[in-house]
Amino acid sequence: MMRDARPLVDALRDPETVLSLDGAGWTNLISIARAESLIGSLAHRLTGMAVPEQVRPILKDAIQATDLARQQALWEADCARRALAPLNSKVVLMKGTAYVAADLDAGVGRSIGDLDIMVAQDSLSAVEEALLDAGWEWVKPDPYDDQYYREHMHELPPLIHRERDRMIDVHHTTLPQTARPTPDPQAMLDAAVKLDSGLYVMSPADMLLHSVAHLSADGDLTGGLRNLWDIDRLVRQFSEADEQFWIVLGVRARLHHLEPHLARALRLAFRLYDTPVYKYRAGQTKFTDYLYIRRLLARDGWGRKTRKFTRQAFYIRSHWLRMPPLMLARHLWAKWRKG
Amino acid sequence: MHQLYLTVGPTRFRLASTWRQPLDQLAALYKDYPTSQDGYADFTVRLEPEKPWRRYIRPSVHISGDFWLPDAAPLPLDQSLLAAEMGMNLQMALGWRRHLLLHASSVEKDGKALLMTGLSGSGKSTLSAMLAEKGWRFMGDEFALLNPDTGMVHSFPRLISLKNEAIAAMRAIVPENRFGPLMKGTPKGDIRHVMPPLDAVNKMKDVAKPALLLFPRFGHDPALRDMGKSEIFVRLTQASTNYVALGETGFRALTRFVDTVPTKAMDYQSGDQAEELIDSLWSKLP
Amino acid sequence: MSQLYRAAASEGLIQHPLDSMTLIFQKSSGITHVVADLVPAILTVMGADALTAEDITGRLSDSYDLEDSGDAADIVLARLVELSSLGLVEQV
Repeated sequence: MMRDARPLVDALRDPETVLSLDGAGWTNLISIARAESLIGSLAHRLTGMAVPEQVRPILKDAIQATDLARQQALWEADCARRALAPLNSKVVLMKGTAYVAADLDAGVGRSIGDLDIMVAQDSLSAVEEALLDAGWEWVKPDPYDDQYYREHMHELPPLIHRERDRMIDVHHTTLPQTARPTPDPQAMLDAAVKLDSGLYVMSPADMLLHSVAHLSADGDLTGGLRNLWDIDRLVRQFSEADEQFWIVLGVRARLHHLEPHLARALRLAFRLYDTPVYKYRAGQTKFTDYLYIRRLLARDGWGRKTRKFTRQAFYIRSHWLRMPPLMLARHLWAKWRKG
Repeated sequence: MHQLYLTVGPTRFRLASTWRQPLDQLAALYKDYPTSQDGYADFTVRLEPEKPWRRYIRPSVHISGDFWLPDAAPLPLDQSLLAAEMGMNLQMALGWRRHLLLHASSVEKDGKALLMTGLSGSGKSTLSAMLAEKGWRFMGDEFALLNPDTGMVHSFPRLISLKNEAIAAMRAIVPENRFGPLMKGTPKGDIRHVMPPLDAVNKMKDVAKPALLLFPRFGHDPALRDMGKSEIFVRLTQASTNYVALGETGFRALTRFVDTVPTKAMDYQSGDQAEELIDSLWSKLP
Repeated sequence: MSQLYRAAASEGLIQHPLDSMTLIFQKSSGITHVVADLVPAILTVMGADALTAEDITGRLSDSYDLEDSGDAADIVLARLVELSSLGLVEQV
């Protein structure tokens, strides 16, 4: 039995590695890829490979499923555009929806869940009102959560559309306001790039840095392999398209206080996916890189999470990063009380 | 983890379990199904303790796999066979894209399929199991698989799942050696699985042309009623777990089905009444 | 100045009549709409033009027999508002 998620990382980095898999090896790879939400990316990556006939329909299904996810993500973005058009304020798409809206390689085969958008802090309440008018409603009417979100987090409580059953997360910064590091949201808004639809996406450097910030500060590295795959695709595409990219990236990383996070993410991406990184930006290998890699690969061939202890360590760490200690205690207490 | 590979209709499952018991039970009940030893599978289902120490102490089975629901409640170990069946259903419901899935039972005669769909308690499962003992080929009691390219129905003949009163009714016509263990006090009441007739297993790759769709309703005076096509369409979208996920493919498959397959609502109070009504409709089909 | 509306491009929609209702599959959203007869008629007369509710009512009465033309424009306007919330027509 495969003990970690290495086969997935290998297949994404070098599709030829799948040629040595036997039946059980393929089944393991598919379970891992599904668990890491990378099955669509993998399916696209293996296009043109000699894949066993038992596996071909599974990959075809994955491509069709992510095609549909792409279409629905674009539709949700368009619904938000229509709802917010009267406000005349910038609506910046984030994460997966941004990748597909800007037709980037990172969007190819990507699974996309909620719609994430970023708006200026001073337009937040108008945005909230316009969305409520257009059929979105609060997911949970819990005042603690509302207060928690409004005071301490980087987004409105999630809204769900009452007919389409799709969620939208409205951010006014990219990370919790209590978290360190604190990227500069205004600078990200100012540099955003307008698409034909009238919606915006972040500038290339900011888009990459937002993905980096996510990896470093959001969650317990769950979804980290996909996050780093995004980073790999973005780095390859942006650095190829623009000779100045690494220089601009350095400037923006300093502006957003994300230099060490960027360096770490680049090292991890290079380790896992052989991402072509500018050595000066990536910096020296650190011992803790090894712990990150161990955590990122903690998934066995059944698709199960493994390395509980390593996961725990990262979970606690990620909460400390996001919330000052007292708030953490309050947050956990509320969770224990309500189950 | 112990493991077992099962093939049901077009789908290959890999089941992995912390305990041997559910896999042994499954292996016995699925003994006539084709086995695959090449290691390939479309889906993995996992049965694991909810917490590590719950492997031995009041063991409870957490169901997961390639596709899973975040809030699926665990089941006690003596219901692990049910857990395995639920796990396989869940993979189909959330992950299968090669057919339009209709939550319907189906039986076949002369290459033509009768589909029955309706809310739980409509008796669609029991009716299909009963017809399977009376000259029809059993195709499945949970999902009918509609091929979007050909319009044909594919068989998914998992174990038949009988609930409460239906268990005694089927005991009267099916030999004991085709029954699995009785599970009492499950979230759905008493449950007992039955192996489909051997013929259903041997012919599980044979497709059938959908010829009649029924919406059975148990407990009312026997009657057949016409239904509007819009109502049929809407109710079938509600009875399909992947209609939305298939996008335009699903729309085309379902509109074709509704346009071409005769459909009735059927009220009945006993299996005999239902059989009579079905025979009367079936004999008039083109 | 009255609000102008334009219908979603017809190649993005699949219409399928079923007895009393019509199904409209919207490719861009993947949503199936079940609508009464008036809606396909509105979309048909709109073509690719930007029109007001009054324009549309006028075109409808040319092609169809509107029984009570008194409040027809109000009915059409109400449908247009619903259709724009579904993305089947857009305010321009």
